[in-house]
Amino acid sequence: MRVMIAEDNVLLREGVVRLLTENGIDVAGTSGNADKLLVLVDDDPPDVAIVDIRLPPTHTDEGMKAALKIRAEYPDVGVLVLSQYVEVGLAMQLLGDSAAGAGYLLKDRVSNVKDFMDAVARVADRGSAIDPTIVSALIAKQRKRDPLDRLTPREREVLALMAEGRSNQGIADRFVITLRAVEKYVSSIFSKLDLSTTGSDSKRVLAVLLYLRG
Amino acid sequence: MGTSPWVSSEPSSDAEVIAARRQGWGASGSIRLGLLAFGLLVGAAVYIDASSRGVPPELSLSVLAGYSWAYLVAGSIAWYARPDSRIGGLMTAVGITGPMLLFFGSQVPGLGLLPLVAVPLMNLFLIWLVLSYPSGRLGSWLDVATVGAVTGVVAVANLLVRLFGPEVLDYGAWVMLTISTFLLGLIVHHAVKASTTARAGLAPMLVAGVLVAILFSGESVAWLLGINTDLGSPFRWAMLIARVAVPVAVLVGLLRQRIARAAVADLLVDLGVNPGPVDLQAAVSRALRDPSVRLAYWLPEFDSYADVDGQKIELESSPGRSSTAVKRDEQTVAMLVHDSALEDEPRLLASVVSAIGMTIENAQLQVELRARLEELRGSRARILQAEQSERRRLERDLHDGAQQRLIALTLELGELGDRLDGDSEMRTRIDSARQEVTASLAELRDLAHGIHPAAVSDHGLAVALESVATRATVPVEVIGATQDRMPEPVELAAFFIVCEALTNVARHAEATSAVVELERKPGVVVVEVRDDGVGGASADTGSGLRGLADRVEALGGRLQVWSPEGRGTRLRAEIPCG
Repeated sequence: MRVMIAEDNVLLREGVVRLLTENGIDVAGTSGNADKLLVLVDDDPPDVAIVDIRLPPTHTDEGMKAALKIRAEYPDVGVLVLSQYVEVGLAMQLLGDSAAGAGYLLKDRVSNVKDFMDAVARVADRGSAIDPTIVSALIAKQRKRDPLDRLTPREREVLALMAEGRSNQGIADRFVITLRAVEKYVSSIFSKLDLSTTGSDSKRVLAVLLYLRG
Repeated sequence: MGTSPWVSSEPSSDAEVIAARRQGWGASGSIRLGLLAFGLLVGAAVYIDASSRGVPPELSLSVLAGYSWAYLVAGSIAWYARPDSRIGGLMTAVGITGPMLLFFGSQVPGLGLLPLVAVPLMNLFLIWLVLSYPSGRLGSWLDVATVGAVTGVVAVANLLVRLFGPEVLDYGAWVMLTISTFLLGLIVHHAVKASTTARAGLAPMLVAGVLVAILFSGESVAWLLGINTDLGSPFRWAMLIARVAVPVAVLVGLLRQRIARAAVADLLVDLGVNPGPVDLQAAVSRALRDPSVRLAYWLPEFDSYADVDGQKIELESSPGRSSTAVKRDEQTVAMLVHDSALEDEPRLLASVVSAIGMTIENAQLQVELRARLEELRGSRARILQAEQSERRRLERDLHDGAQQRLIALTLELGELGDRLDGDSEMRTRIDSARQEVTASLAELRDLAHGIHPAAVSDHGLAVALESVATRATVPVEVIGATQDRMPEPVELAAFFIVCEALTNVARHAEATSAVVELERKPGVVVVEVRDDGVGGASADTGSGLRGLADRVEALGGRLQVWSPEGRGTRLRAEIPCG
């Protein structure tokens, strides 16, 4: 797997590079700003571009713009946006009409090595990685309305993991249950929420997020 | 006094103001009378001379009336009424030189040559008069050149006719026709480029000027067509009438100015005792018949001029605009900025200015008050701006400093923990240390957000509001939030308004839902938050709402709260947004 990174904080960038390299991922290019990242991606598109949302020169939305540009112009490149604050609106902007190959995580998540590697791998495989903060905020929002009350607590946990972009296998591993059991939960959730079950994991992410967003 | 370009040239008293600004030919009354008498004498001489040659008396008298008396009388009146203008002098000059035309053919030795000089001179004064009305000063080199050309051509034509007989006019007429057409064009050009106010004053003379231009062309055309132009011919009579148009126009102009001055009395009645700045300006505008009139109030404490709204203004001279000082107790209290055309009515201007001086006190106080409020608003806005910049800087420092370092630290701890596969106790401790740091990071994140909501500045109001609505305790519908960015202070104010309103909804309203609505109107954004709760909120009781109102007012907007008991709360802010 080839990954490129745009992060202006050297300490952090080096840390992430080291982390990825140690986990057997090929870091094909690094950059301290958005423009250079775009050049790197254009030269030789990687599997995933990891982008800090705040990049020079203004440190506002340069990273976000670069991420959207990559998603629009290089559909085969996964984009994982890292930020020190997460916003539902930005997540939805990033996903657009597809959750495939899109990730949006709090920067802190890099410290959970296993989870972070899993997220990078999912984004590289056209899956998704949505920060649990966003998912839990959306679920909390929907709980104010009633439909989520129909779900059992375990079903709500499964729903959250689905929304984060995890696969059935990932969910099974997390709860230490069988794949079959997860599938049962999923179909129960979907029928309770009146959602159609067809499609890939990333389609499922978008459907669930849109449902939760209301 | 300020550094306005006007202040240095500020005249000492308003009556002198205008007189000093425009120099007429300051001929004394006796000189004027002398010239009038001389003109009449010339007329008498012309009449006697013509009679002696057998010219019918009615013919000579009609020429005298049209070429001399009309000009002498109107000229004397104009000179008396408007000593600052050269028009009176020019009219008198036409009246003196005009009748000398009749010396043509005189048997008195030498007198027959006089028209060679007098006729070109009369034309010189007449065209000068038409092109320079109402000041009597020619405005451009084009005007000067035209006057010169007409005079020259007439002089040469007369000389040639005298030397070679009237046949030379075959050529001269074409030249004359060309110049007449040009003169006509010039008069039309004057009319077009004049301001509305100026054009109204010019109107009578424009009509007369067109007649004069046609008169010159007419002479040439008549010659080319072989029409009889002898004294007493119908053509000559028509020319005579056209000539009288000029003195009539001057008299009409004077009459209109007189009527306008009488309107100043109405102005005083209009103004009453203590008019406000807006009423004062409107009344002055009516009295001067100049819709562009502006009063600039001098505010000594601010060392600047201010308009009726108390907004600081720079008085800069621009073409077509003039200004006249308004005085009260010898002190300049305001500048009346008006159309330059009004300088040709110095008496009107002087009386209006002194009328303003008498009644301006209240308006000036009001303007000063408005200027103070404006200044206060400006300083509030600056304080707010400074606070915002400081908060943004703090947030960025946290982000780039502590937060990044801590994240790097958690990364390090995460890696360490990952390597310690075998040693589970150590691994657990490292993991818990990592989670501690992560928890600190979350607190730091909240702190940073509390200091400055970076999402608003970085990604705009719409993105930030979605998160606020998502986290709200009741379902919130957001209407009208678009990705279009607004100035940062406006977006931040709108954001804080929504946050505070939704916090109040959570705390007090017992609402089941709320609506956040944004509406962009020209120059203003309206932010409204409504809930279906119990109502009873007040901007005066809640310190949060008071703070919001301060913030909105600092931006020149206003915040209103409707919260009748039992019928929900509606909070509405209008924020100016360029």
